[in-house]
Amino acid sequence: MSAPATSRGTLLKVRTALRRNWLHFVLLPLLALWISPLVWILVTSLKTRVEVFDPSAGFLPAVAQWSNYPAAMAVAPFGTYLVNSILATGGILICELVTITLAAYAFARLNFPGKNILFTLFLLQIMFPIYATFLTNFVTVRELGILNSLPALIVPFVASGYGTFMLRQAFRQVPTELADAARLDGCGHLGILWHVYLPLVKPTLVAFSIIAVVTHWNDYMWPLLVTNSESVRTLPIGLGLLAKSDSGADWTRLMAATVVVVSPLLLFFVIFQRRFVDSFMHAGLK
Amino acid sequence: MVTGPALRARIGEAGLAYLLLAPSLVFLAAFTYWPIVRSVWFSFHDVMLGSDKIFFLGWENYERLWTDGLFWKSLANTAFYTLVTIPSAIACALLLAVALDSKLRGMTFYRSAFFYPVMIPSVAAGMVWVFLYAPGYGPINHALALVGLPKLEWLYDSNTAMIAIIIMSIWKYSGYFMLILLAALQMVPSDLYEAARLDGVSAWNRLIHITIPLISPTLYFVVIIGLLHSYQIFDYVYVMTQGGPADATNVLTFYIYQNGFQYQDIGYASTLANVLLLFVGGLITLVALVFGRRVHYLGR
Repeated sequence: MSAPATSRGTLLKVRTALRRNWLHFVLLPLLALWISPLVWILVTSLKTRVEVFDPSAGFLPAVAQWSNYPAAMAVAPFGTYLVNSILATGGILICELVTITLAAYAFARLNFPGKNILFTLFLLQIMFPIYATFLTNFVTVRELGILNSLPALIVPFVASGYGTFMLRQAFRQVPTELADAARLDGCGHLGILWHVYLPLVKPTLVAFSIIAVVTHWNDYMWPLLVTNSESVRTLPIGLGLLAKSDSGADWTRLMAATVVVVSPLLLFFVIFQRRFVDSFMHAGLK
Repeated sequence: MVTGPALRARIGEAGLAYLLLAPSLVFLAAFTYWPIVRSVWFSFHDVMLGSDKIFFLGWENYERLWTDGLFWKSLANTAFYTLVTIPSAIACALLLAVALDSKLRGMTFYRSAFFYPVMIPSVAAGMVWVFLYAPGYGPINHALALVGLPKLEWLYDSNTAMIAIIIMSIWKYSGYFMLILLAALQMVPSDLYEAARLDGVSAWNRLIHITIPLISPTLYFVVIIGLLHSYQIFDYVYVMTQGGPADATNVLTFYIYQNGFQYQDIGYASTLANVLLLFVGGLITLVALVFGRRVHYLGR
């Protein structure tokens, strides 16, 4: 009697386990599809050239070719590119944080003639795709004589309609009582902005910073247009050059360079995953 | 009636506001509004890159559009790309978000795995997919052969090149939309689902009649963001196909680049840029008219 009961019990257990976990059966194949390009980058970066083109060579390299990494880095001054990427992205972010904080405070908490028109003008920037303005911006940057310099990489992105909008929404959620209390204590507008508002909208600032860093760190077209010497090129441009110089055939070194270029952001993402996802989701709500 | 001190305070407030807005406005004017105005002005002129001479042309650049087959092709390609990619990526993102909204083991890992493509530079993503799509040794064809399907030329065939870029774009952007939708889903009160489940409403009907209406403002937001993002395609075209084969992947942004920087014809390129602006504006207006009214705002 006990044997069939046990098997029925196991069957039931299996069935509930299935019912509880069936989603995994849908998600796991998708997951495999999604991460396979990343796996492929890593695996290829450790192969020999011959293995890449040989379908019978198997999925993993026979011997991991770590030398692909120094070889890829020797093709171009990636150290300089890394510094340029940090300077350009950091420069844009700092400028943006200053401009959007000031503008968002004006829109959220001050009254002045022309407020609605000006706000609409800020929003218009979100609508204008950069691809509609890159030609004339290129002409402007050339006229300013800053072509092929770090400022050329930064100036078009100093003001952000999107950031102003996000931050204004966040400022408006802050109870006015807090600002009134600070004013009674003799705080001016800038003091209130600094001591009351900014600390309270940190998640929004983080979310905006993430979006800005990812966008500008990865930007390809604008740096491609305005830089032509190694001293001001950024990482994505270096990667593109490597692809061209090797006519796309030397996949092993190219993938090694890709790992190097991709890993700073991915590493950052893995470490701050939870906060990253939370702030991103928070930003999505706004 | 505003009296002395109050008036002074008000002027003070307005003055401060303009002061706070000034940094943004200077840069917005220089790199967003002025380029648009200038682009319109350029489009009525013959302007060559690297030359200071400018000749007035009138409507000539716009008349040229009508007879330029490549312009129409790039416009059609842009529309095709947008109209296939955005709905597919959003549908994919919605299903992923609904699946990941439940309390599932390994949730963080799933989220990260679907989101990471967003963080990869488009030029890197483009190159990796050139490799994945390679006809001879590419893993995708390898996989197709394993399940007995014919190998494809992917980026080298004008019938499949755009599809190949679309598939890659869905991989690249679904995670971004998923995260935004996930945030919205977590705001939906769970007792609504409980009640529906008790009434015997199927999972599919719960999705159609409860979930989608409740998150429709976010869906709307995602559609708009998606439309604005669909011009990122420039990088992929530049890296993967250079508009080819036979201009099958030549999109408006790439055609602008070609005219401006390869043929140095800033005047005509500006004309195309203005068309792009109208195209984006038109699409967003269309979306606003068709979907904007159906958006349900909870408690508003």
